[in-house]
Amino acid sequence: MRAKMSARSIIKFTVDAFKVVIRNFIKPERITIYYPYERLEYGAVRGWIGLHVEKCTSCMMCARVCPANAIKMYLAPDGKRRPGIDYGRCIMCHFCIDTCPADALYSTEIKDLAFYSYDSMVFTPDREKEPPRVEELRKPVEVIVDYVRGTPRKLKVARS
Amino acid sequence: MVRVESYGLVLREEGSGERRVLEIFWGPQHPSSGHTRFIVEVEGDIVVNVTPDPGYVHRTMEKLGETRHWIQNIPLFERISLPDAINVTWAYVMAIEKLLGLDVPKRAQYLRVIMAELSRISTHLYDLGIHSIMIGSSTGYMWAFGLRELLVHLWAMVTGSRTTPTWILPGGARTAPPDAFYTKTKEYLNYLEKKIDEFVTVVIKNPVGYYRLRDVGYLSREDAARYMATGPGARGSGIDWDARRDYKYGAYGEFEWSVCVEDGGDSLARTLVRICEIKQSARIIRQALEKVPRDGPLVGDALLGKMPPKLREMASRRVKLTALFLMRLPPAEAVGVTEGGRGRFLFHVLGDGTERPHRVRITTPSWQNLRAMIKAFIGSRLMDLPAIYGSFGYFPPEQDR
Amino acid sequence: MNATPEAIAQLIQSALLSPRVWFFAVMLVASSAVLLLAVWFERKAAARVQMRVGPYHASPRLGGLLQLVADALKFIISEPIVHRGAFRILFTWGPPIFITLAFGASLLLPLTPDLRLIRDPGLLPYGLVFSLALLLLVSISVVIIGWSANNRFAYIGAAREALLVAAYEVPLLLSFLAMVILYGTLNPLEIVAKQYALVGAVMNPLAFLAFMTAVAMATARFPFEIADYEGDVATGPYSDYGGVFLVLSFAGGTYYAAFSYSFLASLLFLGGWSLPGFSAGPWPQDMLGHLMLSAWVFVKVAALMFFLVFLRAVMPVLRLDHALALGWRGLLVMSVLSLAWSVALRLAGAAP
Ligand code: SF4
Ligand code: SF4
Repeated sequence: MRAKMSARSIIKFTVDAFKVVIRNFIKPERITIYYPYERLEYGAVRGWIGLHVEKCTSCMMCARVCPANAIKMYLAPDGKRRPGIDYGRCIMCHFCIDTCPADALYSTEIKDLAFYSYDSMVFTPDREKEPPRVEELRKPVEVIVDYVRGTPRKLKVARS
Repeated sequence: MVRVESYGLVLREEGSGERRVLEIFWGPQHPSSGHTRFIVEVEGDIVVNVTPDPGYVHRTMEKLGETRHWIQNIPLFERISLPDAINVTWAYVMAIEKLLGLDVPKRAQYLRVIMAELSRISTHLYDLGIHSIMIGSSTGYMWAFGLRELLVHLWAMVTGSRTTPTWILPGGARTAPPDAFYTKTKEYLNYLEKKIDEFVTVVIKNPVGYYRLRDVGYLSREDAARYMATGPGARGSGIDWDARRDYKYGAYGEFEWSVCVEDGGDSLARTLVRICEIKQSARIIRQALEKVPRDGPLVGDALLGKMPPKLREMASRRVKLTALFLMRLPPAEAVGVTEGGRGRFLFHVLGDGTERPHRVRITTPSWQNLRAMIKAFIGSRLMDLPAIYGSFGYFPPEQDR
Repeated sequence: MNATPEAIAQLIQSALLSPRVWFFAVMLVASSAVLLLAVWFERKAAARVQMRVGPYHASPRLGGLLQLVADALKFIISEPIVHRGAFRILFTWGPPIFITLAFGASLLLPLTPDLRLIRDPGLLPYGLVFSLALLLLVSISVVIIGWSANNRFAYIGAAREALLVAAYEVPLLLSFLAMVILYGTLNPLEIVAKQYALVGAVMNPLAFLAFMTAVAMATARFPFEIADYEGDVATGPYSDYGGVFLVLSFAGGTYYAAFSYSFLASLLFLGGWSLPGFSAGPWPQDMLGHLMLSAWVFVKVAALMFFLVFLRAVMPVLRLDHALALGWRGLLVMSVLSLAWSVALRLAGAAP
């Protein structure tokens, strides 16, 4: 199709383009997620990082592997140091979780992180202990995009 | 000699007034220039000279790479070109593998090929989308990005992250895909091929789009070679080179596929190379999905041997980085080359016995294509600039590193 | 003049029933409504084709219909900036001139036999010609805007607009002429009356095609969004505008121009208000009939505008030189042929 187009093929290809567009107009293949009302369910997504304080051996591997220098070791009253994560820096690579030899860090389902202030982004080990309370004004509908007869459709996830 | 006219423009007159040149600062804040600047000199409607002014998104990747543990470089270098995340990191990881002497099991080889081809498709879709909006077709833009959205869902299934996979590790891969991934990828590919055909009808075969691309930004075979164009920039000019075939890295030798080459040398040829490569990638992925073993460790024996038994069992689902983190780069050097969506990625890593690389040298395709693109710019019309720019898939963050 | 209560009451009554007042009111309301719908359709149709939803949150019940109102409000309350170096007078007066010309053109045309601004039937032919003349002047205001902004992108955009004007003006006028020859009159009332059986678009399809293509060029619809092409000149002449200036020129004015052109085309080619089997009585008595007829006209106008805006979903942007070639070769030949066809029909006695 490198050649110059003849007048006939110009008309043909213009009509073709219109045809395709009109077909899409009549049968739209939308995949938009109405975000605050719906939320896409990806499966296991890297999310907020929690800390099992009792497992942590204060080896500091997590702080050293963190590519974004997001982990700071805080001195606990018992003389040990435990990691706290600054979510203003964290890039959610989960290297810390995968490096921790004691499996003290774990990933949670919380993946939409938004904060009211800079201070609240810095998690100390105390706050890292258990997942933050998620404030949701309304419960979003969980959806997935799946293929129905070859075209992607937005489907509701049946929550068990 | 500069003469300032009271309104409208500053013209530069060259010689004794026979050539009046208007300088346009195209970028870095411009709907379609991206984060870079081109100082375009036009005479009438014809572009007579283009001076690139890159560096607006320079992030000192090479220097940063020297200052940190080599494993921390993986998420860093991924950010050279996020649409092509897998291929970038693969090149770096390949160099590290050579330095550390790690082997890659068959399962990880196939999974890498699948993910790298998805990455290539993602880059091509990104470029096609940007190219479409540059030549004015918002439909092509939205379709390409819609398709890419479905693709990043696949990435999220495997890696847990939409756009920053950080998935390839020296010695293998980080996580195993869930079973749903295999069927969903196949369905995605079917849909992709159908939609790409519609894309071709609406954007490329559409006479308006066709004439925006045809005979525009001509880059001859000789020029492409002289300016070291790469990727679609080179293959669109008839240079039959593809690192996947010529270096046979990964498992690419085992699949049936062909390198897409077009002789046109114009924007249309480069765009057609992209379209063709998307289809070839789909072909490779289909074969790889058939061949990939569903079970088995994700990392090679060299690395498994360093892991405690508990983690070794886990390594068919998820790989812990502890063993890798404790490795140091030997004082040696190694090179990793992959074929990314936009062309050749080259990482040259020098170790010096510590965990930090002594030096990481990075070559990215957009930087390589820059001179070829400037060559293609000159002599075109002003309105062709976006059409040429998009056809090279030029990506400033990747160029500036 | 002594203002007795009866006289005032009579004055008010005649004002309330005056066809001019009604024409104004109907035009203002209906043009806004058509514009709102057209822009909404443009966004929603493009979104529908493009795997997405388009405007939604501004009014979820209406499918985002009020998004345009929200946009306009946002633009109007934002600060209008006149940058240093601009030619202040023309820079600020360009957009009002733009929209006055663009909308004013449609005020010179009759909406129904009685609803019109020009009362004297003898002057109606001039109204038709003048409305076309005003519409062609719109592009001059674009050039003015581009020149006064003192910005290279704007300057190049203005130069492109000027080049395009030369390319689409002749075919536009020729296809207009073809229709005039076909009808043998310039009086819009007679023109519509002659389309009672067959509309103009059927009698001379070439002229319709040439006219609509030229209109797409004149109102910078796709694929002719060349003067304000985002790819290289960043909305061209309008690149320095913000706030209310943008509403009056780029974001609203071009749509008003499209509205006026569509109105003109609906009279010339689609039979205006002629509705087989229905005709309105004299004005004040059969008010409802007239309003129905004007609604019928607006349906046609909206259909034309919907087509024009739907092109956004289909077409990329044509290159300048190709657009000029299309204007000077394709459209010119087409309009000359349509002219010949009209003359032939007239000579053969087949013209209405
Ligand atoms: S997820 Fe990555 S960036 Fe975030 S704290 Fe862990 S290692 Fe650091
Ligand atoms: S969280 Fe894990 S890696 Fe970090 S200090 Fe504790 S034990 Fe070590």
